[in-house]
Amino acid sequence: MTTDRTNEQWLADLRGDGEAQERALLDLKDRLQRGIFYYLSRERSDLTYLSQRELTQMAEDLAQDSVLRVMDNLDSFRGDSLFTTWATRIAVRVAISDLRRARYKDFSLDSLTANGDLLPATSNPVSGTPPTGPERSAEQAEVLAKIQAALDNALTERQLRALIAVAIHGVPLDVVAEQMDTNRNALYKLIHDARRKLRAYLESQGLSLEYMMNLFQG
Amino acid sequence: MDEQLHKLINSIFVDHQENCIDCETCCQQLSCLADMVTSGVEVEQLLPAVEDHLRCCADCREEYQALLCIMRADLNGQLSKLD
Repeated sequence: MTTDRTNEQWLADLRGDGEAQERALLDLKDRLQRGIFYYLSRERSDLTYLSQRELTQMAEDLAQDSVLRVMDNLDSFRGDSLFTTWATRIAVRVAISDLRRARYKDFSLDSLTANGDLLPATSNPVSGTPPTGPERSAEQAEVLAKIQAALDNALTERQLRALIAVAIHGVPLDVVAEQMDTNRNALYKLIHDARRKLRAYLESQGLSLEYMMNLFQG
Repeated sequence: MDEQLHKLINSIFVDHQENCIDCETCCQQLSCLADMVTSGVEVEQLLPAVEDHLRCCADCREEYQALLCIMRADLNGQLSKLD
């Protein structure tokens, strides 16, 4: 795999017609397919159960989708990187989004956020440490109540659901965005606003990071 | 500390960066950043806004690391050996 075209040549060939375009499309697919295959076979420990042949097929399918995506977005290439890096970035997004969807195919945001038990139910949220004294337990319970109040009062239901899924359970933005009928960027902003509101609320209650960490870590 | 409580507090106070750029802005700069990083420059010295976003966005971080991995393999000639 070599950088055999300049950015301008890639664009001209891909926008052209006839044999030059056909060759450029094949070269691009080959390049992206090699990159995707390398990533799938060397970096994804969750795919080790797949045979070489299955990985090759997967890489080929993803490369095909990636080429279509690159062609759809050709006009947005700004030329501030190598064209092949830009195209690889698109292929990476296509591949990883596909893997995330497959991994979370049975995921339900409704089930995840249905019980609402985000915070520890007991007054001793410190696990793995000896029981705390009554004064400390009371202080912890008071702070937990304030955090719960922040979640209840500072956030919209939509923000709370998104925050629980992404920040607490680590569900990818793409997956949650799909279930919330939004896009990844809008979801990121929604969570960003939720964090800011929670931080402002908790700080207005005199709760800092250091204080809470000390309190709950015993 | 309860794991969920720990994640929540971290999410609010540690992961959250005021004025952090969004995924779309980060994404637009990733290929440029990857080119520079594979030429040997440390990411922290390049685009601090992107670095901040990558620190607090697991999705973008995963994609950036995958991009770098493929580019480094390409530079080392490992992709041409896949036939």
